Amino acid sequence: MRQVLRLLAAFWRINVAEELQYRANFVASVLGTLFYMATALLTLALFFRHTSQLGGWDYWEIVVLLGVFNTLTGVIEAVLRPGIGSLVGEVRSGELDLVLVKPVDPQGFVSFRRLDIWRFTDIVLGLALAGYALHRTGRAPSWDQLVAFGLALAAAAVVVYAIWVLLMSLAFWFVSVENIAVLFDALFEGARYPVSAYPGALRFLFVYLIPIAWTTTVPASALTGRLRPALALVAALVAALMFLLARLAWRVALRRYAGASG
Amino acid sequence: MSWARRYSALIRTAWLVDLQYRASIVLWLLWGVTEPAIALGIWWAIAGSGTVGGYARADFARYFFGVMLINQLTIAWDSWYLDRWIREGELNFRLARPLHPAHEAVADNIAYKARTASVILIVWLVAAVLWPVVRLPATPGRLALTAVAVVLAAGMRFFISFTTGLLAFWTTRATAIMELHAGVSLFLAGRIAPLALLPPAMASVAGVLWFRSMLAFPVDLLTGSVHGVDAVLRGFGTQLVWLAFWAAACRVAWTRGLRRYGAVGG
Amino acid sequence: MAETPLVAAERLSKTFQVKVRDPGIGGAVRALLRPRYRQVHAVRDVTFRIGPGEIVAFLGPNGAGKTTTLKMLAGLLYPTSGRVHVAGFDPWNGGPAFKRRIALVLGNRQQLVWDLPPEETYQLNRAIYDLTDADYRSRLEELVILLGLGEVRDKPVRQLSLGERMKCELVASLLHQPPLLFLDEPTLGLDVTAQEAIRRFLIEYRDRHGATVLLTSHYMQDVTALASRVLMINQGRLLYDGALDVLVARIARVKRIELVLGGADGVTKDALAAFGEVKSFHFPNAVLEVRREDAPATSARLLAALPIADLSIEDPPIEEVIRQAFAQGFEGADA
Repeated sequence: MRQVLRLLAAFWRINVAEELQYRANFVASVLGTLFYMATALLTLALFFRHTSQLGGWDYWEIVVLLGVFNTLTGVIEAVLRPGIGSLVGEVRSGELDLVLVKPVDPQGFVSFRRLDIWRFTDIVLGLALAGYALHRTGRAPSWDQLVAFGLALAAAAVVVYAIWVLLMSLAFWFVSVENIAVLFDALFEGARYPVSAYPGALRFLFVYLIPIAWTTTVPASALTGRLRPALALVAALVAALMFLLARLAWRVALRRYAGASG
Repeated sequence: MSWARRYSALIRTAWLVDLQYRASIVLWLLWGVTEPAIALGIWWAIAGSGTVGGYARADFARYFFGVMLINQLTIAWDSWYLDRWIREGELNFRLARPLHPAHEAVADNIAYKARTASVILIVWLVAAVLWPVVRLPATPGRLALTAVAVVLAAGMRFFISFTTGLLAFWTTRATAIMELHAGVSLFLAGRIAPLALLPPAMASVAGVLWFRSMLAFPVDLLTGSVHGVDAVLRGFGTQLVWLAFWAAACRVAWTRGLRRYGAVGG
Repeated sequence: MAETPLVAAERLSKTFQVKVRDPGIGGAVRALLRPRYRQVHAVRDVTFRIGPGEIVAFLGPNGAGKTTTLKMLAGLLYPTSGRVHVAGFDPWNGGPAFKRRIALVLGNRQQLVWDLPPEETYQLNRAIYDLTDADYRSRLEELVILLGLGEVRDKPVRQLSLGERMKCELVASLLHQPPLLFLDEPTLGLDVTAQEAIRRFLIEYRDRHGATVLLTSHYMQDVTALASRVLMINQGRLLYDGALDVLVARIARVKRIELVLGGADGVTKDALAAFGEVKSFHFPNAVLEVRREDAPATSARLLAALPIADLSIEDPPIEEVIRQAFAQGFEGADA
């Protein structure tokens, strides 16, 4: 484990030095995130010009959810996309072999080796937005709500990670599809709104099959008090299950890759 | 110089390359319809059994299917390719040929759009069979008008895209500018809602600038939401004006950009 | 030859502005806050003339200014000062008429469409250059035969070896039979067989069609095999312009013998020093430098006297040759 950390630290040091040389990257990153957040808020405002609730949620409640969405986007852009997201290219080019010979667990290494450090600001901005929106709903959260939120948010990050690993494992079979990550982006768009805003069939899909609901709706609900705090434990359970499923898929895929090449 | 032969060779090459990437293209297509699909879902929920700004559920359905189709027919990705060509030295051999690189880009567009738009069209036709709500009473006249508007919109969006791509001669942030434009056109071009549902000030800005011409106007023509000869003519007029503007902007950007390229290399 | 030269460069210069960055995190932060620029004089005051049908090599280490010069000749860059004329055109303003008369092959970027068989790119070029069917077919056939590409055509370019790709690249570039060929590092990264095949091809092509070939390279072998005339460029300056054998005789006076010693480590550095100047010695590898004319004889003596697993005679690295040339003061001499 320490070895993994040391290796990762070495990579991160180079990362940071690389990133710092691009003068405008930090400013650009923050401006970009603010721009997308503004766009999302304006879109929501447009909808709410013609209604007072969506799926039973009022405007500020959905903004809380938006904050959670941005936080998770930050995790994806800072850690997942640069790390495990580049797997497809490496499978195609055979560069993955260079990764596999390193004396560390490949999944751990591939997942966290490269960071887009500026995108960590997304996490901060997302949480700030969620906090502000919560204040505007006029509901002060109790301690167990906050704990439930923390737990649900961590679980959400794990669920997102697991979905990425599952999708990227597909890269081993569909080697010619270079943009598999786009599938995630398309699906994750559905997480911008509470699951109750969607008709029944989609709701079922997003809770039980492609568990997008557990990424934004559940943490946001925990924060705004819509969720019984104890249900956050269910979120943790779902996350654990997803993680195991993803790890299984990864190992199967890797076995196939190692067997096929050479 | 046979332009017919050049274009058919360029389009053929682009078509064959797209064939190799057909799986990736399906995913891009999926990504492309996600946004209008979700927007439709939300407006559907909001409209309920009544209307919103004059749009009932069926109207929203037709509008957003129209958006899916016409966005595929008019969207231009050239800014991304141009940005890459410039930054990765892939412009050099193109400049050494007796063919302006824009022609290759145009041919790419034609091949790509023919492929993806036919998919959307088939999906729409199938959907129309299953759900009467998305059926469109499309008269030949209306289709003809829409076709003209689509061609004008596609041309204009091409020039916008090419011009923004050319900014890569000056900045590494050309993609950011494209994103900015895409973000604004989310509202003003009618991607997230019919323009009638926007605050009136925004809607008029969209109509005065090139945004309505990009997408909302052809979609409105298709769904029969443009009433009266006056409105139709004004719409086409706006399209022509902005098409000319962006074509000129593109030309200026190219000449200036090339001069800068010759100074700093690639 | 008192005719107008096909290619003429007069006091050609090119200067770039480059951002300065110091290494490490400290330097990176400094570059972030206060960017500085410096001037890079890529090409300085270069003058030369090339007649039709010549094969000329621009030789020099990496970063010497060869590619920049070539790009100015091809019209991709315009000079900061000085003049350049190619085939009666000012390359930068030459337009399509000029572009039809040249072929540009860049070693690291290719025009072949990556995902399709090379034939598709040939067909595309046929349309772009407006070739008649008859011309296209006969030229394609000739090029394929000269390059030995018979079996390659159906595979997508991405599945071809580097050597095959370069050969196909040459086919695609020469279908319109231009009188001028600009090749930037055409043998870069290729195996020996492919390199030789391409060199043979270029000579044959020039003999058949009288084309003028300008290539840049940092391989001595490219120059020895191909070019009767070499222009040596280093740090933007033209150091030597003339016949190759003259240059070789004047400068590359030494050869290097690279050894892999066998047996146990009984051979000492001193033992080797008896044969020539020991440039490096890390058992079992050693490099000796001897006079050019002594190389074969010394090699024979080495093989007889010492346990040697492998031996090869190499030219000294080009950087050394050039350093010597610079030290000996070659400046813009004509052949």
